Amino acid sequence: MGLLTNILLAPFLSPVWGTRWTLEQVDRVVRDELTDDTPVKEDLMALQMQLEMGEIDDDEYVRREAEIMKRLREVREWREKFGMSTSGGPVRIAESGEPE
Amino acid sequence: MTAAQSVSASTDPASGDGKYVYCIIRNDRSREFGEIGIGSGARVYTVNHKDLAAVVSDTPIVIYDPTRENVLAHEFVNETVMREFTLIPMSFGTIFRSENDVQSLLNSTYQAFTDVLDKMKDKIEFGLKILWDRDKVVASLERDNDEIRRLKDEITRNAASSTYFARMQLGRLVEAAMEEASNRYVNDIHEQLKDVSVASRSNKVIGDRMILNAAFLVERKDERSFDEKVKAISLQYEDLLTFKYTGPWPPYNFVNIKLKLEKAT
Repeated sequence: MGLLTNILLAPFLSPVWGTRWTLEQVDRVVRDELTDDTPVKEDLMALQMQLEMGEIDDDEYVRREAEIMKRLREVREWREKFGMSTSGGPVRIAESGEPE
Repeated sequence: MTAAQSVSASTDPASGDGKYVYCIIRNDRSREFGEIGIGSGARVYTVNHKDLAAVVSDTPIVIYDPTRENVLAHEFVNETVMREFTLIPMSFGTIFRSENDVQSLLNSTYQAFTDVLDKMKDKIEFGLKILWDRDKVVASLERDNDEIRRLKDEITRNAASSTYFARMQLGRLVEAAMEEASNRYVNDIHEQLKDVSVASRSNKVIGDRMILNAAFLVERKDERSFDEKVKAISLQYEDLLTFKYTGPWPPYNFVNIKLKLEKAT
């Protein structure tokens, strides 16, 4: 079906098409968020900085570090669920050998 | 905290003979580095292949969380090795299933490791983070920037009648002047450190007070001059900026070998 069909049938098609598009979009955004550990790592670096600058004490650091580790593990679990690569765990050199 | 608590759950008790790899060095005989490894002081030793050696310790097959304790253990080993060797650091948490797998890493990546070791020979890294105190910088801008001073005086003098727009304009002026000042400081500092370093790399700043998060690659023989230069610069800026100076580190920010690793199941 070409563009013309879309335009002609627009009143009938677009709500359905629009909804599906939105759901896919939401799905992707959610997935990206669940599987991205960048913000978690940034939080960890910021936390370390706070400790170095004496803004928080050791106890506070340990407590918040534990929360961040939990979030990191959650991201790792989601990545595994979506079949994405994860860091950590045993590795070996890939068959194709040569590094880039 | 014990190692058992700081690693996550996927322990596989059937195979407790994994190898945690810290770094790659050039050494054609086996070496011991003491019981300083990750996971409550595991024995650190080398797995050799020709004239290359991987510095490793035995580990259960687990995923190590990057807690401060674990990261410090990883770094401490590299610091110890670095006293005697030029090294290529491995990323935190890299584990192989067996000595054999470590040897195939050395074998298949032999040329790349050799090239990088040559390039990094006798070079070390320093980290420099610079933070500013917003209030002090604003105060110094108000002192030195005529336009800002004039506008501010005007607003203070006519507190009641001074418009919202005058305040907005002041805010914008200050913002722009701060960005300009930040760039000026950073450029000046880079310029001053250029002669005593081989290369530099700027990383993303952390938090809203940081204006520079950089790593510098320095020849070992220039360590002292670099050190003195950093101290001189921090004195020069002592009223405005806080310097967080760390190192020497292995060249974490200057080695970029992309290993083709896959999950070992």
